Amino acid sequence: MQSPLRTLILNLVTWTLVLLIAFPLLWMIITSVKPQTELFRIPPTWFPETITFEHYWRLLSETPFLTYFRNSVVLASTTTLFVVCLGTLGAYSLVRFRYRGRETLAMLVLFTYLLPSVVLIIPLYLMMVAIGLSNTLVSLILAHTTFALPYALWLLRSFMEGIPEDLESAALVDGASRMGAFRDIILPQLLPGIISTALFTFILSWNEYLYALVLVNSDSVAPLTTGVMSMLISTFNIEWSLLMAASVMMSLPLIIVFAFLQSYLTSGFGAGGVKG
Amino acid sequence: MADVTLRNVRKQFGTFVALEKLDIDIRSGEFVALLGPSGCGKSTTLRMLAGLEFPTSGEISIGGRVVNDVAPGKRDIAMVFQSYALYPHMTVGENIEYPLKKRGVKATERKAAVLRAAEMLQLEPLLDRKPKQLSGGQQQRVALGRALVRDPQVFLLDEPLSNLDAKLRSYMRAELIELHRRLGKTMVYVTHDQLEAMTMASRIAVMFDGRLQQFDTPAAVYNRPANRFVASFIGTPSMNQLEGAVDGSTFRVAGHAIPIDRSRFVHALGSGTFVLGVRPEFVTIGGGDLPARIRLVENTGHEQIVTLELTDGTRLLARTDAARRLDVGQSVQIGFHPDALHLFAPEETGRRLNKDDAASVIPMRSR
Repeated sequence: MQSPLRTLILNLVTWTLVLLIAFPLLWMIITSVKPQTELFRIPPTWFPETITFEHYWRLLSETPFLTYFRNSVVLASTTTLFVVCLGTLGAYSLVRFRYRGRETLAMLVLFTYLLPSVVLIIPLYLMMVAIGLSNTLVSLILAHTTFALPYALWLLRSFMEGIPEDLESAALVDGASRMGAFRDIILPQLLPGIISTALFTFILSWNEYLYALVLVNSDSVAPLTTGVMSMLISTFNIEWSLLMAASVMMSLPLIIVFAFLQSYLTSGFGAGGVKG
Repeated sequence: MADVTLRNVRKQFGTFVALEKLDIDIRSGEFVALLGPSGCGKSTTLRMLAGLEFPTSGEISIGGRVVNDVAPGKRDIAMVFQSYALYPHMTVGENIEYPLKKRGVKATERKAAVLRAAEMLQLEPLLDRKPKQLSGGQQQRVALGRALVRDPQVFLLDEPLSNLDAKLRSYMRAELIELHRRLGKTMVYVTHDQLEAMTMASRIAVMFDGRLQQFDTPAAVYNRPANRFVASFIGTPSMNQLEGAVDGSTFRVAGHAIPIDRSRFVHALGSGTFVLGVRPEFVTIGGGDLPARIRLVENTGHEQIVTLELTDGTRLLARTDAARRLDVGQSVQIGFHPDALHLFAPEETGRRLNKDDAASVIPMRSR
């Protein structure tokens, strides 16, 4: 039995946490639709007296925001595609095939993940310059792939381990080739794993700042994170209203992706026709 | 229809030898059980027949064709797995259809074949369900359906009944026997359950420790076990084995002499330790001169399994009528049916030393 006091305290703590986390997001949305005149009024208005979308309009029509946005979409999607393809095949190899150094290889991959990204960034930059990819979106895609892949590999490996080998054996006996069995049986079973890996990679790449700052320095290839910052934050002035509008629009794709895939993530688990 | 041959097959995993010098000839249309405790190599044997494992050396042929290097899908076999291995994302119908699809059978023919298989196994109402919506017995039937839909030459079954409850298991056992009779196909059936092997198989390959111990009909395996291991593994409760010495025409155990007929055993027995084997149904309580005490009486309704203790503490089992009144602690005189005695060399897989056919089938009545 729970005492009413305990329930009360638990509720209080939970709601305090929720408010703490939600408030900046709420304030971001409110600020983005306030007219310029209302922005710095003291005391602040909790609800804008007039709602305006002029900041959004200015952002879309007068700034390179859309270019950044496109760059970010291309960057995050391509990285995700790379990571999921490589990660799935790599995890399959690590789980199904027996070869010398298999475990060492897996540990080594994880080891790169332990290094802070600042340690890797200079060598990566020099490499990109050497192969003539500096200041291109491709260099960012490759860089993001290198730091998202190790974790993805381990995540997919644990999902892959959950798929009984008998399923694949059955497909082989039923006449499928190894690739056929992989496509018909393994991939559908791995879908929840692939979706969570893709989600993780997309978010990581979408929010990444440091690599984008170092590897890319022209507006035409900058993603949202560095592009918006350099555009709206200068030494003398921060364009708060535009920044908030940009922030809202930057968050939207993630919220949409999450809203759609969340149910997918949970429903995929626990499905299985194997007993014993 | 096809015969299946393993010729001098050896399988090694790293340094571990899983199978050694395996020679098995399975005739076309036969139902053969590979029987043995876990780790004996029976599943490895089956997986090699399926092409999921490759022999380190030796030759495997199916239907006269050497298949050592043939992919599983090209061997014209079907396999039922212990876990059933139904594809969870496909419906029952799609599961059964899959092997046909992979062989490029036309859609209309596929439909007809799936319906035929479903009808045979009473799966029609379940065709649109997913495997996880089915009971264990139904999943089992779907796995069978997937195996028989494309009419393979050989069926491989890997402990297909071990996940079912006792009642369903005995029902499915009868179904499988019936199925084998109807299809007339070669079937190789892996099990650790000797009852399954005895009731279903036309011949049983008893395996232990990576080696074939005996390959013969159920009756022969029961009545003329090749060695101590087979004798103890086949039959519930298993054969009593008493260690002792042969002395002229008697076998000495626990300070008593049991008369034996020397002419029934190989001549050059020599001296040393031997093992006398006798099945519980051939131990008579109150009919001999070996003193013993009753330690436990288990009444199963139609018979009693009696645990007896000799004066030196050796225990053995006897099987008697359920109606007979026996009390724990009671002292009795026991004897062994003279025609039902087996003599073995003392090692774990010690050879049987009877002249063959000697201990032939003795009707239960005469015990």
